[in-house]
Amino acid sequence: MTSSGWIFLIVSWSFILFLMIASFTVVLRKK
Amino acid sequence: MNQPPSQPKSREQWGTRLGLILAMAANAVGLGNFLRFPVQCAGNGGGAFMIPYFIAFILLGIPLMWIEWGIGRFGGKYGHGTTPGMFHYLWKHPLAKYVGAIGLTIPFALVIYYNYIVSWTLAYSVFSLTGKYAGILDFRGMADFLAAYQGKISNNYFPNIMTAFLFFCITHFCMMWIISRGVSKGIERLAKTAMPLIFVFGAILVIRVLFLGTPDPALPENNIANGFGFIWNPDFSMLKESKVWLAATGQIFFTLSVGFGAIQTYASYLKPKDDVVLSGVATSTTNEFCEVILGGSIAIPVTVAFFGLAQTKTIAAGGAFDLGFFAMPIIFQKMFLGQVFGTIWFFLLFLAGVTSSVAMAQPIMAFLQEEFKTSRRVAAWIVGTMTFFFTLPVIFFLKHGFLNEIDFWIGTFGLVVFAILEVVLFIWVFGAANAWKEINSGADIRLPRFVLPLMKYVTLAYLVALMVFWFIQDGWGVLTMKGVSAADYPYIWFARFMLIGIAAFMVFLVYIAWRKPHVIQRRVPE
Repeated sequence: MTSSGWIFLIVSWSFILFLMIASFTVVLRKK
Repeated sequence: MNQPPSQPKSREQWGTRLGLILAMAANAVGLGNFLRFPVQCAGNGGGAFMIPYFIAFILLGIPLMWIEWGIGRFGGKYGHGTTPGMFHYLWKHPLAKYVGAIGLTIPFALVIYYNYIVSWTLAYSVFSLTGKYAGILDFRGMADFLAAYQGKISNNYFPNIMTAFLFFCITHFCMMWIISRGVSKGIERLAKTAMPLIFVFGAILVIRVLFLGTPDPALPENNIANGFGFIWNPDFSMLKESKVWLAATGQIFFTLSVGFGAIQTYASYLKPKDDVVLSGVATSTTNEFCEVILGGSIAIPVTVAFFGLAQTKTIAAGGAFDLGFFAMPIIFQKMFLGQVFGTIWFFLLFLAGVTSSVAMAQPIMAFLQEEFKTSRRVAAWIVGTMTFFFTLPVIFFLKHGFLNEIDFWIGTFGLVVFAILEVVLFIWVFGAANAWKEINSGADIRLPRFVLPLMKYVTLAYLVALMVFWFIQDGWGVLTMKGVSAADYPYIWFARFMLIGIAAFMVFLVYIAWRKPHVIQRRVPE
């Protein structure tokens, strides 16, 4: 895998995980 | 806006907020997350595909989620869990309820073929465990195995279609049983069990894939790193091609299960002041986790590791089913403890599929319960019996292109048409200010103001472009039966008349329902 491939993987995974963790943190806090 | 009458006390509600989000996510997570996404990504520029993919996620996917959640909760306040009732309140016009009948036709027609496909995954899970396809190590052999299972040919493995029919009956019974138990005790409990299992099974498979390294030391270029490279290495030149943008937008549209009518029904079981904004984001990102992180790390990387780049390109070009039902069973046979991993893979697909088919069956269930005052058990029997008989031609005429015909008009074109209608009705007819107020009511996070013009213009423009491109690219060919053999014409026409018949039947049901005293009481002047 090329370095740009790694960058795309890391950025995509981080974007999804950030949104998921942030939204669930608020959801579970406010339930 | 009219003040809603008090919601009928008999309406069901979600047990917990987490249960609702998991049920919504379970609705969105389907076979496409694990089979369609990696094929689309690998075939459309790899990492570069993620640029139009995330743009579509932000500009089309999430806004459409909020719109559908908003419409659903709005309808629930008036005691309507389906789009005929919801559209009646959004657009006070005699036609509104009949336009809403599309939101019954689409999920009903989807169930009749999606459930059958889901039953294949259950069957393959059992076949993997019992070693039914053990020894078939070439694509021709696996293709014949599936063709015989589907009744297209006859061989030593399957002399007739009865095995496929049996697995369909089991899958269908599971769906009926779950919907008959209701929203909280059936759908929510299923989601609370199935979603963690999907995460665990997905994680087990991803970890197994990551530790595969180079399965055949004689072919060092066939390794997992190159497999991930095949999906993620960006080919920026592909971004100049409109087909890549169309594929990414289409994938976002399919993966979030928007345009089905199912999200509205699930959202109708919310309380009037329950949040839809943050819950919509949580649902969408859970789906993306299953798709990009789990789905993108299993099938394609492992195929490259076992078959190499060139053959994987051929498999990916063949489509999601070639990857899932031809390549993966061969790969699992070459892997240590492959029988177990194969069973886990297909059972994961089964769980992802069955949670979606339950969501597709729920709108017509809700319609019968609410507008015809049918008991849940009777409604489940009616839905189960009707969908069972409508699936029979899908099963027995599969080789004549019956399923593909329904899939295009309902599962591709119909979805985007319905999504356009709901955006127009909610944002343009009901009014942007009313829609904005409705979505933000009870929200845990405040939406920035620019989201409203985004929904009003950009999301709608995306959908219209998608519809036009799909019609030009595929629709005209499907309509004129391009490439269809003359012998199959009667079956294709049968599929079309069946769809028209289902739509007409739904319109008729709406017509009857709107003459029921309890519906008349709640009607607004049209």
